[in-house]
Amino acid sequence: MSTFNLDVYMPVVILIVLALLFAGGAMLAGKFIRPSHPSVLKETAYECGEEPVGSAWANFNVRFYVVALIFIIFDVESALMFPVASVFKHFNAIGMGGTVLVSVLSFIMVLVAGLIYCWKKGDLDWVKSFHRDN
Amino acid sequence: MFSDTLFLLSSALTLGGAFAVLYSKNLMHSCLYLLGSLFGVAGLYACIGADFLAATQLVVYAGGVVILMLFAIMLTGGASNKINKFGLKKIPGMGNFSTYMIAGVSAFVASLVVLKIIADVLKSQGPTNLVANEPTVFKLGVLLVTDHILAFEISSVLLLGALIGAAIISRPRREIHD
Amino acid sequence: MDSTVVTYFSQSNEFHSIVMWLSKIFGDHAGGVLTFTIFAVVALVIVGVMATVGGLGTYAERKISADMQMRQGPNRVGPYGILQFLADGVKMILKEDIVPSNADKFTFILAPILCLMGVFATLAVVPFSSGFMLSDLNVGVFYLVGMASLVGVGIFLGGYASNSKWSMLGGMRGASQIISYEIPVTLTILTIVLIAGGLSFGTIIHGQSGMPHKWFLFHNPFAFISFFIYFISSLAETNRAPFDLPEAESELVSGYHTEYSGMRFGFFALAEYIEVFVVCGVAAALFLGGYNFPFGHSIELAMVQKIGMNSMVAQNISQLLELTAFFTKTLALYYVVIWVRWTLPRLRVDQLMTLCWKYLTPIALFNLVGCAVWMYAFDGKPIYSLIFETAVTAAHH
Repeated sequence: MSTFNLDVYMPVVILIVLALLFAGGAMLAGKFIRPSHPSVLKETAYECGEEPVGSAWANFNVRFYVVALIFIIFDVESALMFPVASVFKHFNAIGMGGTVLVSVLSFIMVLVAGLIYCWKKGDLDWVKSFHRDN
Repeated sequence: MFSDTLFLLSSALTLGGAFAVLYSKNLMHSCLYLLGSLFGVAGLYACIGADFLAATQLVVYAGGVVILMLFAIMLTGGASNKINKFGLKKIPGMGNFSTYMIAGVSAFVASLVVLKIIADVLKSQGPTNLVANEPTVFKLGVLLVTDHILAFEISSVLLLGALIGAAIISRPRREIHD
Repeated sequence: MDSTVVTYFSQSNEFHSIVMWLSKIFGDHAGGVLTFTIFAVVALVIVGVMATVGGLGTYAERKISADMQMRQGPNRVGPYGILQFLADGVKMILKEDIVPSNADKFTFILAPILCLMGVFATLAVVPFSSGFMLSDLNVGVFYLVGMASLVGVGIFLGGYASNSKWSMLGGMRGASQIISYEIPVTLTILTIVLIAGGLSFGTIIHGQSGMPHKWFLFHNPFAFISFFIYFISSLAETNRAPFDLPEAESELVSGYHTEYSGMRFGFFALAEYIEVFVVCGVAAALFLGGYNFPFGHSIELAMVQKIGMNSMVAQNISQLLELTAFFTKTLALYYVVIWVRWTLPRLRVDQLMTLCWKYLTPIALFNLVGCAVWMYAFDGKPIYSLIFETAVTAAHH
């Protein structure tokens, strides 16, 4: 059994720890020199001088959710495409580029069909019209 | 040496995140802990040399699914609704003595099965030697366009289905605006 | 396989003598300890340089905007006001730290840190030069896309946690904008991966060369269009004008960081400016030849063979040249980002979504297909070699 040399991931961990240290350090250093005079008025949310009415945590529109859904679908698609795209040059060099090209094209075309469907049906519009069917 | 550190960090993050998701009463905080847990899983993938899978975990789950969940929570107005529509302040514990018994027994059986599967791996652990990280992207790509080309193509149809499903579900209902 | 900054240092003789010396103290772990030390020191240096670049970015932004509007801009602190960013930093530390009483405190504290973490983690693969790349991961570009998406989560949570209407609107807009524009970005990166045949920054940059005609930008017409798609989308991804809807001053006060004061606001600002630099650096690496400089290794060879220089010294000099090339290209793009901000008016939300889903994404998909066809039809040859070949054949006739 062999284990992998994982040293290449060391900078990632170091940088994340550095970010935490930087943030923590700056906040801690500031604690000793910054003023702290909390008051009720200071701690209310800023609404251009008006007293805030209710909470900001309201029900948001479903279109944000739809954007996220479509995003995930394209994200998964690109995740699948990345390995194929990276071997395309190699296959092209050994004369099998046509096979890969056809598979990539058909993969993309299916998704383009989906995108066109959503476009025609108006799902990509941000401002949706509420016309009644007649 | 660093591999052990990475493994311990990732598994602690995964398990700790998962427990925190369960025990947090705030939906938003649960989502954040889930983000930590998913990051831990990415670290675990990196530990076993699956670098592409780790990056995919980051891109799809940490970047996509967590945002989707946050938006889904915002659809219901965030974590501010601590009282549900029946006026109950919290949800009673689900299950009773017998369900807990069944769950315990099945968890026990499942863990035995898993132990049986990994026993061979544990037995065959010999001296370890460090090898360079082999790029998995290239192998994955070759497999996707040769042996598993059908799976690759069919997955696009699956994604198409998901895309159209997402679009149809989210359409404004016309009869509401009569 | 994966080359790191340690690989670069391990070429020198001093490295081995240090390992020998350390092994007396640490035994078998000497290599690991030295690796960690080198990584930690280089990471610190890079974070330090990036924080300075971020700070100078705020200064450059104000100075350039002042120039464009025929004002003076900051000119009090230091020569030409160049130390203004230090004064701003001191001011931020001295400001009171206010957490609104209605805020979700845990998330409120965590959000800027998440942004900072995401941006810092991307620095691990930014190709400053062939030696000083912290780690040339096999999945480099893809990893970068994944880590950068943490910023979106941070911005959303910052908006959510404040429990203020302005913040919440800014956070929602920010998150949906960032994820939407990630699609064209990923698709354009895919186009370049197709040409380069690999995901690591090393592979991508070695596929190009110092001379502009060998850049991927001029590889084929589709790659040329891709560059602009990438640039526009990354402006949106970093919430820069004309896509600064999440912090639109004139409508949302300050967007997702309305309630943040002092250093916590500073974290958001720093993360944004470093991210702009990272995004410009990636654009330089993908399209503009990265750290390659004209004549590249032939200069290094000439120094060793003609002048008789020590090969290690020559290598260090070429590293410096590479760093210069990278920073020149990246900062030129950085300038364009600032320039664009003070030139174009802000988009509306629906225009933003239309631009992403109805223009950039279809064009990016078309580019991807076109590039694949080009690679197949012309055996992966770039356009300049095709022109050259045609000229040679024409000359023969």
